[in-house]
Amino acid sequence: MSSLNAAIAASATALNAERTRIEVAISNLANAESTRGPDGRPYRRRDVVLGSQPAETFDAALGRASATGVSVKGIVEDQSPARQRYEPSHPDADKEGYVALPNVDPAEEMVDMLSAARAYQANLTAITLIRDLVQKALDLGR
Amino acid sequence: MSELSDAALVTALRRQMTIAAARQVIAAGNLANVNTPGFRARQADFETALDASLRQPLAVTHPAHLRSEGAGSVAAKDADGLPARRDGNTVQIDRELLEMTSAGGEFQRAQTALAAKFRLVRYAINEGR
Repeated sequence: MSSLNAAIAASATALNAERTRIEVAISNLANAESTRGPDGRPYRRRDVVLGSQPAETFDAALGRASATGVSVKGIVEDQSPARQRYEPSHPDADKEGYVALPNVDPAEEMVDMLSAARAYQANLTAITLIRDLVQKALDLGR
Repeated sequence: MSELSDAALVTALRRQMTIAAARQVIAAGNLANVNTPGFRARQADFETALDASLRQPLAVTHPAHLRSEGAGSVAAKDADGLPARRDGNTVQIDRELLEMTSAGGEFQRAQTALAAKFRLVRYAINEGR
């Protein structure tokens, strides 16, 4: 039973990680036109780095089947160059009339968000299936 | 000719439930890492599990000795032959969900049989009442 609980815990870490991806994609989309960030420079697209958690359970140490969780290793800034748009009337335009815009591609963010939402859904289904298993096992005592 | 004893039957069903639960756990771990770059999908290692359950580590020198039931654990190994995505990840959502559903069905089959067995035992204990 403990390994089933570990599996639910692993799925929960995935829910957390996928939610973070959705949140970051939303913040990227929201700031697609922000030309002034906290440092006075255009917003930079952020990306979530995921990594599998080292399995430190007793079962894993014995080489038995155990569920590997996932964790957010960090949120990094995309270093690709900013988009340039010719708009001389913009207050943040440079001498030639170009405005530096965030390096955010809305289509890319939407795809990222969809993939995160699907993974979230799959992990919710996994939790439901494991819960059914635990319930079935408890029914033996009836 | 040896009959299939109650104990052997219960042991077999218990082993089936253990393996089904292990398959669920491994598939859940794979699903959790569906977006982790470089993650290799894992699967239950049935050969090792079978070896472990057939092996008898304890010597039996007297018929009344208790027999070892073999290991009740299932090992995991990297799944081979799965195509990797560009980030090196080999997890496929549909494959893992199918694995979880089929393992759940297997667990339920064993559970139903075991519950029926226990019902018979309870019936006998209650003297048929």
